[in-house]
Amino acid sequence: MLTALILADSRFPGGGHVHSGGLEEAAARGLVHDEPSLESFLRGRLLGAGLLAAGFGAAAARGEDLGWLDAELDARTPSPAQRAASRAQGRGMLRAARRAWPSERLDALPRDPHQPLVIGVLVADPFEAALTCAYLAVSGPASAAVRLLGLDPFGVNAIVAALPVQDVAARACKELPALGSPALDLLAEAHARREGVRLFGS
Amino acid sequence: MGAGPVVKASARLVVALDSHGNSVVRVLRSMTPLTLVPARRVGPVALVHLVSSVTAPLGGDSLSLTVEVGPGASLELRGVAATLLLPGSSGAASSSLVRFVVQGSVRYLPEPTVVTRRANHTAVVEAELDGHAELLMREVLVLGRVGEASGILSSSVRATRCGAPLLHQQLVVGDPLVDSSAAGLAGKRVVGSELVFDSAVRAADGGEWWSVVPLAAGGTLATALGDDVVTVTRVLDAI
Repeated sequence: MLTALILADSRFPGGGHVHSGGLEEAAARGLVHDEPSLESFLRGRLLGAGLLAAGFGAAAARGEDLGWLDAELDARTPSPAQRAASRAQGRGMLRAARRAWPSERLDALPRDPHQPLVIGVLVADPFEAALTCAYLAVSGPASAAVRLLGLDPFGVNAIVAALPVQDVAARACKELPALGSPALDLLAEAHARREGVRLFGS
Repeated sequence: MGAGPVVKASARLVVALDSHGNSVVRVLRSMTPLTLVPARRVGPVALVHLVSSVTAPLGGDSLSLTVEVGPGASLELRGVAATLLLPGSSGAASSSLVRFVVQGSVRYLPEPTVVTRRANHTAVVEAELDGHAELLMREVLVLGRVGEASGILSSSVRATRCGAPLLHQQLVVGDPLVDSSAAGLAGKRVVGSELVFDSAVRAADGGEWWSVVPLAAGGTLATALGDDVVTVTRVLDAI
């Protein structure tokens, strides 16, 4: 449980703070501009990308073959920008984890692993791993919204606290999901193409 | 389940290359309501129309179509009209499975599917490609008729080459909270995709609500969201 808390902590030095999960692009287009539109964005993100990540976190925690999981998650991530963001966050998390929790299974991860696989290896309980993945799928974009849009941190925190993160984690433990998120993929690709000043890497 | 007929149909189509270099239909087994109509022509590409599409069942129906295309053979499988997903009298869910086993080349071009208000359908496409097989498939989904809310549709595609995963995507429509989310379908009524596995290399490209991207294990996926079929189809046609 403590490992899950550390990984989900925004002060964990895994580099997650430079990713907005599509929020920066959505905010730049005016699609997210206040608390209700943020709530809608985070709910859609949780039920799509969040479920997908949580399913792979749980599967890695169950001890499934990591090379196989990595290929299956690639097949479920058609957007190159999304694959790059997931692998960059996996790499950053792995760097910190090697110091904190060295293990043989960490060494069995593929090069630049998808982040949910790293979480699954570190948080050996499938539900806790799924919960960590699902929470991180919304907590990063939520804090990005506070920084980019100047939203009330108390209001944003209340939105995150009311999201069905536990339900998604429970569902993710039952089967390996393959849910796509077409709009999120398009936002990620547009963000990667965008020229000029960007605060976030994705 | 309530009263009313429940259709369980399975159809099969096998295309092979003959000694003259023509792609010919070797097996053609239709089963109501799945009607396969081969075009009367001889050539390198066999053209078959799917007259009553597997994507147009009523609630309770369970339909499956298996398509096999041999080495060197080419098949173009087309729909003939936009199809409506409708609820049956029983209110039960319906399902369809289309399975491709490809050693040659397949172009699968069904017409748009309209998810009407009380539909509850699960559509699955499975494609097993061998080392040199080529596949192009298009899907255009319309969330409800004009002014109508969408029913529920789960549409999934899984493509493998020699057993290794190329693409596995499930799209679920009909939850208004997700459909309207900027992280879901961004409130767009029409979602289209075109999946291509061939030897061509295409550069990544995109616009506000469309993209063409290379997949991790080879192949290309084009995706477009829009408010009408014409706009979405135009993007997919340009690839």
